[in-house]
Amino acid sequence: MKLFFCVFILAIVLIISCTNGTVNNTAGNKYDEDVLQSVIAGADSLKTFDFINNRIEGIKKTLQQAMPVLLCADSLNAAQKMAEQIALTDSAFTSNVRNTKTQLPYRNEIFGVYPARESDLVNTKGANNLADCYRVEMYNYPLNLTTIGIANIKQQHLLAVSTMEQAQPDIPLYLKNLAIKIAVESPEVQKAYGIKPAEKEALMASTKTSLNRTRCERSRHLCVAPTFVKDGKALWAIVDLTDYKLVGVRWTNTGTTGPANAITERKLQDDKVTACFCEKETALEKDDWKMNYILTSSDGLRIAQVSFKGKPVLQSAKLVDWHVSYSGTDGFGYSDAVGCPYFSQAAVIAFEPPKLMALKDDNNNITGFALEQVFRSEQWPTPCNYNYRQRFEFYKDGRFRVAAASIGRGCGNDGTYRPVFRIAFAAEQNNFSEWDGSNWNNWQQEKWQLQQATTVYTTEGYQYKLTDNTGAGYLMQPGNGNFKDGGRGDNAFVYITQNKSAVDEGEADLVTIGPCCNTDYHQGPEKFIEPAPDNIQNKKLVLWYVAQLKNDDSKGREYCWAESVLENGVYVTKAYPCFAGPMFIPASLTSKRAY
Amino acid sequence: MKNKFAIFVMCLLVLCSCKEEQVDYQSNDCKRQPAFIPSIGFDPNRSAFSTSERKIMGLSLLQINFKGDTSNGGRKIYQHPSWKTAGWLGPIQVDPFGNCFVSPVPVISTINNPVTKQNIIYKVDAATGEMKPFVELPVTDSLSSTNPYGILGFAYLCESNTLYVSTVQGSNRQQEKGIIYAIDAQNGKITDKVENRDALGMGISYISGSRQLYFGSARTPDLYAVSLSNKGKFNGQPQHQFSIASLGPRGDDKVRRIKFDKSGQMQVIAIEFHFNLTAPAEKQESIYYFVWSDEEKKWLRQ
Repeated sequence: MKLFFCVFILAIVLIISCTNGTVNNTAGNKYDEDVLQSVIAGADSLKTFDFINNRIEGIKKTLQQAMPVLLCADSLNAAQKMAEQIALTDSAFTSNVRNTKTQLPYRNEIFGVYPARESDLVNTKGANNLADCYRVEMYNYPLNLTTIGIANIKQQHLLAVSTMEQAQPDIPLYLKNLAIKIAVESPEVQKAYGIKPAEKEALMASTKTSLNRTRCERSRHLCVAPTFVKDGKALWAIVDLTDYKLVGVRWTNTGTTGPANAITERKLQDDKVTACFCEKETALEKDDWKMNYILTSSDGLRIAQVSFKGKPVLQSAKLVDWHVSYSGTDGFGYSDAVGCPYFSQAAVIAFEPPKLMALKDDNNNITGFALEQVFRSEQWPTPCNYNYRQRFEFYKDGRFRVAAASIGRGCGNDGTYRPVFRIAFAAEQNNFSEWDGSNWNNWQQEKWQLQQATTVYTTEGYQYKLTDNTGAGYLMQPGNGNFKDGGRGDNAFVYITQNKSAVDEGEADLVTIGPCCNTDYHQGPEKFIEPAPDNIQNKKLVLWYVAQLKNDDSKGREYCWAESVLENGVYVTKAYPCFAGPMFIPASLTSKRAY
Repeated sequence: MKNKFAIFVMCLLVLCSCKEEQVDYQSNDCKRQPAFIPSIGFDPNRSAFSTSERKIMGLSLLQINFKGDTSNGGRKIYQHPSWKTAGWLGPIQVDPFGNCFVSPVPVISTINNPVTKQNIIYKVDAATGEMKPFVELPVTDSLSSTNPYGILGFAYLCESNTLYVSTVQGSNRQQEKGIIYAIDAQNGKITDKVENRDALGMGISYISGSRQLYFGSARTPDLYAVSLSNKGKFNGQPQHQFSIASLGPRGDDKVRRIKFDKSGQMQVIAIEFHFNLTAPAEKQESIYYFVWSDEEKKWLRQ
């Protein structure tokens, strides 16, 4: 449990769509309605189907066998069965059924045994009677690898073996039917189609084939797309046959000149995220909080016009950059911007919609909600690929937190992640002060400071105060391992700058603000302070927060890290996030309760 | 009689002009190694320019060691101080005089490649090796942070010393605003252009009986061709040739490079490209081969 999120958060995950009742208030470009109405099935909202259970049990049993290969589930004649057995006793054909280092079994399945074709015998030696030869096709799920063996059943041996990486054979009838059943039983398909479609409706003669070829380019899983035609349009349901789940659904025009372009996992995701969240601002009202949010080109998820009980709180807040440096190689690292998948300056992109989730306390009482966005490299968690999670937490009592986490994996175990947050407060006349152990010291000018071992906090853990002349405002509690989310402390640089109405100092989308590898305060925000700091007395203020998070891959201490492990024959990801970010507590609360 | 003579002359001219288009070149390879290479102690026969070294920003000159020599990782690298002044670079084109043309392309971030500086062609002098701005292409009035790219592709027509340059600056998801420029490589003057085309990889071939500039769309997996005159100008509008949609592990790759061998076979190198700055650690690249069918008048995949 610790591997993923903080203790407080219960995963009531709601996939936010363009049509979920929130108000989209940005006019402008017209979007394809099919894209707007498409659905990306959230990983957390997957329906586990009872009819999958037998299949899972069968896989587990097979993986315990000496030859851990699922036999072809379609009916085979005696000759085909013999060819299958010949292939499975051949060491070349079965060379990829286990991980060579750990000897743990991969999930492999015989997808088909077919009479050989002339072309199958081109590279075989000796004289072979074509009628005695069969082509055996095996699929390796975790490696996305196809192995083909040509068996001569009369001679009782394999004539040839070949493998194809990142290739998938035609699926057997058994899996085809399973894919259709998953599609038909998925609530997302039923909702999009209007009613629960009958399984035979995926077999309509007019579609020529019941399963459209598709791809899951990101997961590299075996995917097919049962397609249901209605009113001249085709509903694509992308089904993942590695995880037995629905990936998403989207309508397309069937057209008159042939099949529409294939809808794939990536196209479904990127089109939806772009149309609904990159080019449209979404309004959100919940628990007395009100705001708009949008995915930016390079500043992550941006919230704006944030108010609580009608009182403006934030002008905006966003995640400007991730600076990643590696101590093993001087000056080696990256400045990663996070943002939209198409036409953006993002190095790590969003391909799932933002999610809303409930926040709960130790007694399971709902205390607020979080708005979270995940950004990923395509090949995460393989080395030099990244996964960042951005999160805004809003509590019913008026507290809020701006947070983010790295989930590795990066290019080494000597990395330091430095997320750059920009938090622009709404109040027109604020002052900023720091706790010195006995008093609040007011900052007169723009300035930066590093949170370190000698930093002093109030008994409640507050380090700074941002209030107006009436005392209204917020106290800031930095990350100190105190938010029960696995965070180990932020060691953060904090910068305060004046929010000038005449000059844009980062309110619009910011280009990369700083280099990868500076280890001091030169992370970017200092550009808005130096060389002549402005007065910040009774001014509109921007707080920049740059946490410093050192990754760790040591066993039991993993932090900002991820790894793939073989589980039930396929790779699953173990994630070890390092959350960082400050909490803001209304000054009005501090006299009533200690946080 | 005069009329007949005039018609005869006109026919002759028409025939001559047709004949002029029946060019017979087998390839368009006229590049020469720069003269400065021996002066820095590198062997021109084992040296090549690179802009894709993971930890070296800008242009590099690589010399591959003799077979069996594994010192310095099997290669030697040279970088003139001026070669990193334009940030990360992308396309490279060497001309018949040994001059090398390069342009910036951002890698992972824009910190070294500001959007406003992505439409500049730099020239590395064949004699000195120094890199200087050669042509600043017109900057679009629709620059935005959503498209970090400018120049993406080069091609060179040896006959006319024309440098073809594709830029996608100013394009966005809704509007294709890219331009393919024809530039006199001697003086840097723009001689022609094709507008509203976002092109990535480009290549020149004579295989179908006339000079053709082939280019891959940066937005879709499609490949187009536009005819060229012997002066290097564009004749007509680009024509669709074929698509590589659904080929390869991703199915929507874009054509990054186009090369022709002496037999006229086209090599298409395709990559994942979505106008963002993602940079997969594992190179996502597929290679396809096509041959021209005179019978069917189209390119066929090998």
